[in-house]
Amino acid sequence: MSISLSFHQAAEVNMDFITKKEIDLVALLQKSHCPSAGAVVLFSGEVRNHNIGKSVRYLEYEAHTNMATKMIAEILLAARNRWSLSIAFAQHRIGKVKVTESAVVVITASVHRGEAYASNRYIIDRIKHEVPIWKCEHFADGTKEWGGNCNCAKDTGDVNKHLYEFESV
Amino acid sequence: MRIQVFAVLKTFFKKEFELKARINTIAELRTHLRVVNPDAAAVLELCRFAVQDEFVTDQYILTGNEHIVVIPPSSGG
Repeated sequence: MSISLSFHQAAEVNMDFITKKEIDLVALLQKSHCPSAGAVVLFSGEVRNHNIGKSVRYLEYEAHTNMATKMIAEILLAARNRWSLSIAFAQHRIGKVKVTESAVVVITASVHRGEAYASNRYIIDRIKHEVPIWKCEHFADGTKEWGGNCNCAKDTGDVNKHLYEFESV
Repeated sequence: MRIQVFAVLKTFFKKEFELKARINTIAELRTHLRVVNPDAAAVLELCRFAVQDEFVTDQYILTGNEHIVVIPPSSGG
């Protein structure tokens, strides 16, 4: 499912919010300049070579693509309205993602940097906590583990209530 | 009703399966799945459920014809 966003100039770039293809950070950034925006923030969440003391070979992501796409669209719209953004875009990769590759990108552009930073943090935090996307870590020792999941319900007592990092900044 | 599971739940259940048992609510479904596979109890407590791709609460009434997705805690990013 692909959604064209009027508030992102990159209509001709791969605009799927969920993609099996390698995320092209340079192409996305090139298309993220806007005459009314003095600040552009690009966050790239990348696969690192270690976690919980173990060496990581790669990550494998899966998503409920329909629900994830709809939810990312709603989160982007909420961010755009809250901070009057010129650009709000996010893309998450699924399938095998190798060390140093981007698993998720969030781009925000606004008049001043404060809004671009704050909204970018808001978008990535909500994606990580709410959107049905999961990672399976494949370790160098041959083991694998579904992990790194949102644990907020243990503190909030409600699977729909989260403790967002952007609220504690 | 048709049940679809994701991520870690695939280690406890088939990715997609048909459930014939008489189950009236999402809360009952959660309990049923826990009884079928007690090893999944901890993660099932943290799962959200969706019917026709929309999140529903534990009180949601089931007719038996739904496509239900069981959604473990997110771990994207």
